[in-house]
Amino acid sequence: MRSKRRIRIAQRIVLVIGLTLLTIWTGVPIVWMILTSIKPTNDLYTHPSIWPVHPTGINYQQVLTQSNFAIWLRNSAMVAVGTTLLALIVGIFAAYALTRLHFRGKRLMGNLAIISYLIPPAILFIPLFQVSISFHLSNKALGLIPIYLIFSVPFCTWLSLSYFRTIPVEIEESALVDGANRVQALVRIILPLALPALAVIALFCFSQSWNEFLFALILISNGNQETVPVGLANYIIGDVFQWGPLMAGSLLASIAPVLIYIVSQRWVVSGLSAGAMKG
Amino acid sequence: MASPALLSADQRVGRRAGLGRRLLGRDWRVAWLFLLPLLIVMAVLIAYPFATGIVLSFQHLVVGGQATWVGFANYQALLFGDAYSAEFRQSVLISALYTGGAVLVKLVLGMCSALLLNQRFLGRTVMRAVLILPWTLPTVIVALTWLWIYQGSPDGLVNYILIQYFHQKNLVQFLADPRLALPSVVLVVIWQGMPFYAMMFLAALQAIPQEQYEAAEIDGAGVLRRYFNITLPSLVPAILITTLLSTIWTVNSINFIYVLTGGGPLNATMTFPMLAYQIGLNGSRELGTASTVSVMFLPVFVVVIYFLTKRMLRDQGG
Repeated sequence: MRSKRRIRIAQRIVLVIGLTLLTIWTGVPIVWMILTSIKPTNDLYTHPSIWPVHPTGINYQQVLTQSNFAIWLRNSAMVAVGTTLLALIVGIFAAYALTRLHFRGKRLMGNLAIISYLIPPAILFIPLFQVSISFHLSNKALGLIPIYLIFSVPFCTWLSLSYFRTIPVEIEESALVDGANRVQALVRIILPLALPALAVIALFCFSQSWNEFLFALILISNGNQETVPVGLANYIIGDVFQWGPLMAGSLLASIAPVLIYIVSQRWVVSGLSAGAMKG
Repeated sequence: MASPALLSADQRVGRRAGLGRRLLGRDWRVAWLFLLPLLIVMAVLIAYPFATGIVLSFQHLVVGGQATWVGFANYQALLFGDAYSAEFRQSVLISALYTGGAVLVKLVLGMCSALLLNQRFLGRTVMRAVLILPWTLPTVIVALTWLWIYQGSPDGLVNYILIQYFHQKNLVQFLADPRLALPSVVLVVIWQGMPFYAMMFLAALQAIPQEQYEAAEIDGAGVLRRYFNITLPSLVPAILITTLLSTIWTVNSINFIYVLTGGGPLNATMTFPMLAYQIGLNGSRELGTASTVSVMFLPVFVVVIYFLTKRMLRDQGG
């Protein structure tokens, strides 16, 4: 029928226009960041243009060798790895208890775990600043780990919980009957099965830590202990942002989280929406 | 008595139940062992600072000094006092505009994106990966990039385009003009956050069975009709969760404002977390009043969190 063809053609046109607009909207800032990173600083101010006239790698060189970028990377990595490991261990044990064991208060604990994730940092950051100073946790990169556990532990618990729920209980039964204790059941049976999902949770947890800015900003003033986001935000020389090297550093700092995200994308969506939709 | 072979492992364990087990649940010893780390984290790292925050709101404490008890003085100062009340009231308004505007636009754009990405076309996987990018970038980096784009000088991208291609004479101060600052910042929030909505809606869209559309098409329903009768109702759970989660995250966010405007110009972008930061850690460094600012917004969060947990626990049998 002719009208059906016309509708289909109209749909295609809308699709193409929509996708083009979306791509421009998404792409322009990212492309601009990349282009800026390969323009020499002088050109940025004296001959502004869209395309680089003299593309150069000097910004990358500057940010890697003349700033504390390597130190920031080290600090960010230490904090992110430490946080992820601890949060995963706590989360896995808690998730196992909440999905496999029978005890009074189970429902309450489950609720509390989810509510903890939703407590806004905006409420907590002032008292945490005070607490952090009194416990001498401030000004140390590693002192960020306890702070980051605040959002990563509930997060890991919640996602592990969602996943463990999909593993049938019967799988451990034979081991339990044979006299295995709960820890063995968890480590020998559940963990190997859940490994892919746990890997994704770990990656996501890592990237949350990597990207965190507020607490890293307020708790650390020692330049040697700064993490990547704070280091970049403070990368000012002589009252001026060094845009070229800054964009170069930004690109480098984004590689890890972007890669992590692309690798784990599909599972993260289904994990987050497990609580949202039926089935 | 049932023969042992017919009982499950759990039942066999339960049969040896003593009084403790019956009162507290069969596995309570193991359970509390497994849960202890989580409990410690929740008590020490969440409940304790939370309580400290509330206590702080009744005190006067300059960073590095001693805390003195002042009762409701901070609350009075914020609501009626000369020094802070105008700023506080403005921050309520700005927070509402900032959050409401960002969430609304993210919702609409996210929905459109999800509908587009749900269609079948060549290069769909690549498209999806590309369009998710803004959400994967660290927020500070997004903020810095847009700070550079918004520069009020000829090297800022927008001004450059306006001068070169639209032949404007005057520079536009996106972040220094009190009328433009808030919308400019909100635009960045939208840019960064919209892919989250698109992702969640896309997952929900893909869960809708094709047969429903086919049946509707056979019955003669047009495109719009199919959308409102099939698509939208199926998306309601996803819309609710995404919006509520995003509202909490957006209201809380301080990163964009800190990098782009620092709360100015003339408090045009001073949302309440930024105000708390300003009072407690930047200006007078008075933690008591800063904490009071945060505590005053607590009721709003309690309401949102209440609805959100109900939703999230509903389908998990919670």
